[in-house]
Amino acid sequence: MNNRHIDINVPVLARVEGEGALDLRIDNGAITDLKLRIYEPPRYFEKFLEGRSYADVADTVARICGICPVAYQMSAINAIESIFKIELTPWARDMRRLMYCGEWLQSHSLHIHMLAAPDFLGYNSVIEMSQEFGDEVRRGLKLQGLGNDLIRLIGGRSVHPVNVRAGGFFHAPEEAKVSEIVGRLKSAQQDAADLVRWTATLDLAEDEQDFTSVSLHHADEYAMNRGRLVSDQGLDIAIDAFDDHFRELHMPQSTALHCLLHDQAYLVGPLARLNNNLDSLPEDTRALLDSTGIAFPSRNMFHSIVARALEIHYALNEAIRLLQNYQRPERAFQDIQIKGGVGYGCTEAPRGFLWHRYELNSNGEVVSARIVPPTSQNQARIEQDIGNALNHFGLDKEDSALQLHAEKVIRNYDPCISCATHFLKMKIDRTTPDTASTDEPVRHDASLPATLIAIGSPYSPDDIAWTLADKLQQNSADKNIKLIKLDRPGTDILNYLKQPGTVYLLDAVLVDSPIQQLIIRRADQFIADNNTISSHDIGLAGALQLAAQLGHDLDNIMVIGIPAIRSGNNISLTIPVEVLLERLGEIFKTQ
Amino acid sequence: MTRPTVAVHKFSSCDGCQLAFLNAGEALLTLSSLVEIKHFAEAGPVDEDASVNIAFIEGSVSTPDDLERLQKIRQLSNFIVTIGACATSGGLQALRNMADTAQWIAGVYTNPEYIRTLDTSTPIRDHIKVDLELWGCPVSGRQVLAAVRALLFGVTPVEESDKVCMECKRQHTVCVLVARGEACMGPVTRTGCGALCPSFGRECYACYGPAENINTAAMARRLQGLGLVDAEIARRFLFINSGADAFNREGLNWKSES
Repeated sequence: MNNRHIDINVPVLARVEGEGALDLRIDNGAITDLKLRIYEPPRYFEKFLEGRSYADVADTVARICGICPVAYQMSAINAIESIFKIELTPWARDMRRLMYCGEWLQSHSLHIHMLAAPDFLGYNSVIEMSQEFGDEVRRGLKLQGLGNDLIRLIGGRSVHPVNVRAGGFFHAPEEAKVSEIVGRLKSAQQDAADLVRWTATLDLAEDEQDFTSVSLHHADEYAMNRGRLVSDQGLDIAIDAFDDHFRELHMPQSTALHCLLHDQAYLVGPLARLNNNLDSLPEDTRALLDSTGIAFPSRNMFHSIVARALEIHYALNEAIRLLQNYQRPERAFQDIQIKGGVGYGCTEAPRGFLWHRYELNSNGEVVSARIVPPTSQNQARIEQDIGNALNHFGLDKEDSALQLHAEKVIRNYDPCISCATHFLKMKIDRTTPDTASTDEPVRHDASLPATLIAIGSPYSPDDIAWTLADKLQQNSADKNIKLIKLDRPGTDILNYLKQPGTVYLLDAVLVDSPIQQLIIRRADQFIADNNTISSHDIGLAGALQLAAQLGHDLDNIMVIGIPAIRSGNNISLTIPVEVLLERLGEIFKTQ
Repeated sequence: MTRPTVAVHKFSSCDGCQLAFLNAGEALLTLSSLVEIKHFAEAGPVDEDASVNIAFIEGSVSTPDDLERLQKIRQLSNFIVTIGACATSGGLQALRNMADTAQWIAGVYTNPEYIRTLDTSTPIRDHIKVDLELWGCPVSGRQVLAAVRALLFGVTPVEESDKVCMECKRQHTVCVLVARGEACMGPVTRTGCGALCPSFGRECYACYGPAENINTAAMARRLQGLGLVDAEIARRFLFINSGADAFNREGLNWKSES
């Protein structure tokens, strides 16, 4: 068993919104590679917003995700209203919350019945499951339908609703429609309670893990549309302080964008929310939770399905409360004054908190937009969890069992790939390969070992890599980085490639035009770019290619090219040394 | 008797149009008894290589792999229906096709093994023969299920191509363009949504794409008459369906050359 080598490759993950795939490699009884790949191509939404009016924002961001368009609209409109200094009327605030209740109901019910429950009951799909569990599926469809109806009541349609505007809504629902839906909501209260109890009886794996739960928290209500960002480890910040504590980075050894809290993975979503907001639950919902016999706060990700069911119960009852004494206002919105400035919006999407930041000019046009969706926040946690969970489950199990278990773990997070991926930071790769640059620098995770190999010669400016590496080491806060200086190593570089962690090769690279960015490439990319010529006799690309052919693993190797340009016999750097140092400092987080 | 077979494929999209199935409630269960769903990754069944009678396609083409997948889908499917703006016009993400800065139009991910992307987001019709196109961002359950029903009866489904204006008249909705001076795109936009936005007192933003026989130049002049600057007129046309020919042409007429 010890020598077993298996590769599990799940090309299309069924029942995950959007499409993702998991690569898992086990060598000699240990996981050696684990990657959650994401198929959804980038959709550049932040860029589309630039130059558009604030009034187009809600309709644009809704299109990021058809499963949680309300969340996108809510975070965006909160940010815009904070710039315009709008204080919503209590009616508008209630209706915004109501719309969110609808989305939680819809999204959570869809997840539980169509995506997760078939796993726990041993079916491939909800359609198969409905043969045996018809009543449960119908109950789920009823709750999902009610959620959609609530969104439709306020938003006109359940996918990409049309009613939200700065200052309130375009239209207030008629009283007759409201009282009709309240009747149906009340008739589903028992269903919601039964659902919670039913999820608690499912055969959920025992898998306690250590993780940090992060969510909004509000003193007056179960957090949805407003509050502070808190964690169960003591974080308690205003939403505009997000950047002081959270960091998004593209780790070179991984294929996924990770958003980290104090450089650690963390959890967002229903389980995190429930863990952090138990005190905000109404008494009956709390009592229902206690009656399941499952202790919360919980450290078992498999309890997410129970947390979702409980939030269905909460959202349903909250919707009834919000609509109980409904009075249609004369106007659904208040007058607004367009202002420029920066605003933040953070709300609890079904899958976890969704953070937006917008800058508007004085005409109310978007100067810049930034969106951090829940799934990219959970990304690091998911990969960590799969590793832990599979080890706990037993790596000696059959491939199909391992695959199913890994899929179950992933589905606990209800990852919404279409949201997550539009946000993966892109590298700019212009059509001429020798002018490649990065939009967002690669950042080295300080907790991981790294080796920086500076390649150069004593002749200026070819000594630049050595100079930079020396300065970098003096400035670096990170003593984990091992520095190696090599003089025109040629193929000798092969003897230095085997290092723990990531190996960064720093070298001057000749380019055709005076570009202003570092050229950061994975080793395989660097080889592929045959136009990129190292300034050394045996090109770095050639040496790496040789290494690949000799069976060296290049996965952990990154090339950082310092652009230099030749004119006649002179070679000069295209970027001043101070700037180079600063750029490298961004990668290696120097003080 | 064997049931007709169905596949639902996803390309670059928000998943919202697949919800036309997943939000259909009881109708979804009925559907699954009438047809055999061979491939629908979001709902469970995964069999991309199965031959089917009807294939629904959500999403636009935006990676080189998409092109290969599409050819295969065409070979395996008798009747192909695109659902939604992405599959039918390239969707909102087709805005990248006309981006001013080469910088982000050519942007790719750090790890090429991970994702590769084309410079453009294009509709399915640009690459393979499509038998029926259902417009809308998103399509409604009614549209999709009506198409399935028609196909099961062996008749060609009828897709609405009237203007939103006609729907407003039928519903007795007061015209937001004439009465309130809103920049409503109803006169050039295909109905199918039920004239939702005007009935909520707001302008139509053309999420169902161009209607038949439209006069986009007159629409643009009307918007100009309402006081919209050129760039704003361009943005009205170049939004959810910027890749639809009629909208694309008119929008580019007004887009400044900055």
